[in-house]
Amino acid sequence: MTHGARTNRTISAEGISRVEGEGSLRVRVQDGQVIDVALDIFEPPRYFEALLVGRHFSEAPDITARICGICPVAYQMSACLAMEDACDVVIDERIAALRRLLYCGEWIQSHALHIYLLHAPDFLGCADAVALAELDPASVTRGLELKRTGNLVMRTVGGRAVHPVNVRVGGFYRVPDVASINALAEPLRNARDAALRTVEWVSGFEFPDVTNEYRFVALDQPGGYAIDGGNPASSDGLALSPAQFAEIAVEEHVARSTALQATLGGVHRYLTGPLARFALNAERLPAIAREAASAAGLEGPCGNPFRSIVVRAVELVFACDEALRLVEQYEPPNQPAVEVIARRATGTAATEAPRGLLLHQYDLDDEGIIRRARIMPPTSQNQLSIEDDLRRVVESGLALDDDELQWRCEQAVRNHDPCISCAAHFLDLTVERS
Amino acid sequence: MSATYANKVVVAGFGSEYRHDDGVGPIVAERAVAEMPLSNNVGPLSDPLDLLGVWNNAELVIVVDAVNSGAPVGTVQMLEVDVGGVSEFEFDAEPVASLSSTHGIGLAGVLRLARALGQAPRRLVVVGIEGERFDLGTGLSELVESATNQAVREVVNLIKEAERCA
Repeated sequence: MTHGARTNRTISAEGISRVEGEGSLRVRVQDGQVIDVALDIFEPPRYFEALLVGRHFSEAPDITARICGICPVAYQMSACLAMEDACDVVIDERIAALRRLLYCGEWIQSHALHIYLLHAPDFLGCADAVALAELDPASVTRGLELKRTGNLVMRTVGGRAVHPVNVRVGGFYRVPDVASINALAEPLRNARDAALRTVEWVSGFEFPDVTNEYRFVALDQPGGYAIDGGNPASSDGLALSPAQFAEIAVEEHVARSTALQATLGGVHRYLTGPLARFALNAERLPAIAREAASAAGLEGPCGNPFRSIVVRAVELVFACDEALRLVEQYEPPNQPAVEVIARRATGTAATEAPRGLLLHQYDLDDEGIIRRARIMPPTSQNQLSIEDDLRRVVESGLALDDDELQWRCEQAVRNHDPCISCAAHFLDLTVERS
Repeated sequence: MSATYANKVVVAGFGSEYRHDDGVGPIVAERAVAEMPLSNNVGPLSDPLDLLGVWNNAELVIVVDAVNSGAPVGTVQMLEVDVGGVSEFEFDAEPVASLSSTHGIGLAGVLRLARALGQAPRRLVVVGIEGERFDLGTGLSELVESATNQAVREVVNLIKEAERCA
């Protein structure tokens, strides 16, 4: 809904479309000045952190996977790594490779979904994916085939595509046989070709000419482009362990939202996700993805959030190529999982969910019972940066009519693929009785 | 756009076995397909978007899902979806603009997407079983458990009818 005069107006979108979950945004302009920008999250709070307290550490991967149907593997992996950190367990390299393959499947299906069905319609003047399918069925079909390949990888390694059931602390319940992994090679080769065409497709879109200054935060994983672990690093030189990062990443609750909002040291907003990963780790991409990025005009860090769709497409190439490499080198682990013996400790770990850095931290007692849980999803970390993007969009777009400006604002939110269901997991509850 | 309809029946059970009665869809789908091996069970599913690619041009798609309509618990309801009249399709009153939370592309949206791509099935029937409990936990509530036999019969009858018409 939009209303108001040009110098005093309110732009509000009740129920932002093409993002996951229930959220809204509100922008107020007075005398030509932007005086308030708010991304409101009003999805019912999800008490997963409270739900985890009192549960056995081995239950965390399956419970937290339920937070999100789009990135369950991210939750499973961060939970497993945090528990293994607490219990001082190092997993077998082959198990680690299988985990990375599973995670690649999630990246492929999530990125394909966001690029083709959620984000591309913005650039092509389509209200939604149906309108885009009518305009360009071949492209939408390509996107759906990519998503199916991601699902196939998740089903093969994780047991099923949504909320995989094969993951456990220490590894897997069952190891896929060589034949079933080999069967992924051909679909992944086709998917990699489709991903390359995706980069070409989205790089031809028209983008607003903006460059924002972000403080990027992404994981640093020696030897590769970070997905399934690593240490948080920032574009202004921070290099921390996950536990150190958990200390300085301050989460605060604001009244309008059921999600927490994170800053570094209570002061600095920051951004995680594809733009951050590409800015910090692009040189670790395989040649095929680096060349695709270069051909798409991506040289060095990208501060244009609207071009995140191109970065996401480059990551799609990477995820397909990396999955194919892991398939071709697959050797079944000698055992599905390593033994994990609980101890009283705190464990912290982070992985790169498709939308950005996902940190888990748990306190365990001697019996392996969870006494405290902290989950910091990417969307709560990105929320302040998204609001800052919105402010810039409005300030530079005051000449647009209300409908166009609202469209541009919603697009600015979708640039970061927020997952509001993931973010809304905490609420301070006060009961007043008389 | 014309479409060639393969002679196939696809049965999809939606829901999660970890949310009590929400898991009834996959249970009914599995039992029905076990009785009718010529049909294809593609469930359990939780995202209607996953129907794309597996229901392409099917003769009949049967979606089995727990519902919360206010009817007595255990009530089995059949909803014949007007596939051809998809533009008037207000199955879940899904407006175009909301077609799209990453979880939320509902069955109506998926059907419209399939139509735009020329992949819609010829016929779509939803078999709904009224649930009682949708909180975290396993196992069906008593009345829903009792209703599964009737739901399985309904699905089997739909499959038989489709095979007679083939």
